[in-house]
Amino acid sequence: MTSSFKSIEENLKAEAGKLLESGRVEIVLAYGRGYDENHPMPFVAKHPSDVANMVFNEYCIHNLARYLVRYPRGTKIAVAVKAADCRAVIQLIQEEKIKRDDVVFLGIPVYGMKNPKTGEIIDSKTTCGMYNPVLYDVLLGEEVHGQKIVSPYDVLADYEAMDKEARWAFWKKEFDRCIRCYACRKACPMCYCDPCFIDQSKPRWGDKSPQSHGNLMYHLTRFHHLAGRCIDCGECSRACPVDIPLYLFHKKVAKECEEMFGQAAGMSIDDKPALVNFRVDDSDKILE
Amino acid sequence: MSFEPKILGIACNWCTYTGADLAGTTRLEYPQNLRVVRVMCSSRINPSFIFRAFQLGADGVLVGGCHPGDCHYNTGNLYARRRLAVTRKILEFAGIEPGRFRVEWISASEGNKFAEVVTEFTRQIKNLGPQNKFKISQ
Ligand code: SF4
Ligand code: SF4
Ligand code: FES
Repeated sequence: MTSSFKSIEENLKAEAGKLLESGRVEIVLAYGRGYDENHPMPFVAKHPSDVANMVFNEYCIHNLARYLVRYPRGTKIAVAVKAADCRAVIQLIQEEKIKRDDVVFLGIPVYGMKNPKTGEIIDSKTTCGMYNPVLYDVLLGEEVHGQKIVSPYDVLADYEAMDKEARWAFWKKEFDRCIRCYACRKACPMCYCDPCFIDQSKPRWGDKSPQSHGNLMYHLTRFHHLAGRCIDCGECSRACPVDIPLYLFHKKVAKECEEMFGQAAGMSIDDKPALVNFRVDDSDKILE
Repeated sequence: MSFEPKILGIACNWCTYTGADLAGTTRLEYPQNLRVVRVMCSSRINPSFIFRAFQLGADGVLVGGCHPGDCHYNTGNLYARRRLAVTRKILEFAGIEPGRFRVEWISASEGNKFAEVVTEFTRQIKNLGPQNKFKISQ
């Protein structure tokens, strides 16, 4: 059984109202109306009367974990999280950007979210393919059951099978199309560095104009910085105005990290991010 | 003319760099293709150094650090091991031959190992030929 979008919306409004009313939180991060039905927007409720403007439908794809780090530390925030978004919040807790006690997880179990650009259902092809939040304080609907479990890494097979020349040609063509709008970085809940390495001028890590070499430097370094941290929400790729399939590279890095370090990002608040951690018995084989 | 690769070496001060010194003072011979940059620890190496080296014309990159357990800062190379393993995977998925990037643990007393690794790695890079994918064409 799954809950309808409408009932999730009702529950969201009710819970958000209660939390604001009681003063348990100062802010609720949820979704509000956009310019039409297909384009709802992130919405910040600060007052109980704000909740009337909340919406939830299949196009509420944004990962709201992205907005948590905008508020001063210690701000009490409730955040509406779908499965992947929930992992992003957990990852932020692991990275000590926010405290567990300062956030209320409003978990949304949902299958059938759609990409507004294509109308396609968002599943394991472009995201982690999970439909139930792994952690929540309040669950805003019934858990999703009965969806086929597909590994989020299955989609990689074709690309892994490519010979390296073809793979280079593929990525070169994709990266060359990048216009360096940085929407990917802006949408990503784990991209919170200020300044971002690519904005630094001393040292200048890569050219800022949208040319092959600067683009390559930006993307490869960004993939590296997200290693063991990307929770595969797919927001970067959906935010990209020229539809570069960034999710493929992020998935590949996530898969390798999971295999090498035995841990997927954002699954438990007790984990330490894999790349700020080590085991004395990590094998040298990972370097081969 | 035969292809003489450009190889960037990044060596930690306490082990590999000292090992390279030892190779020198014991007058071991090894190819001259390697240019070494000294860093204080293998964990000092920002992975972007490696991407950048390939962009600026390196045909291969060799990183040298203390053996796990011997890092001067105790755990630097244990972090570096994980980090540089990811770097390798990224290079590979981007389409660069992973053999162009190597990490070796070489202690201060292993002058021989240093010379052997450089000789062997240089041969390998020669076989792979010039690296043109990342290289910025001028
Ligand atoms: S890199 Fe993309 S898929 Fe990964 S967490 Fe950031 S926005 Fe989500
Ligand atoms: S969103 Fe797309 S075009 Fe914009 S910087 Fe990212 S990859 Fe490039
Ligand atoms: S000091 Fe040599 S690897 Fe850390």
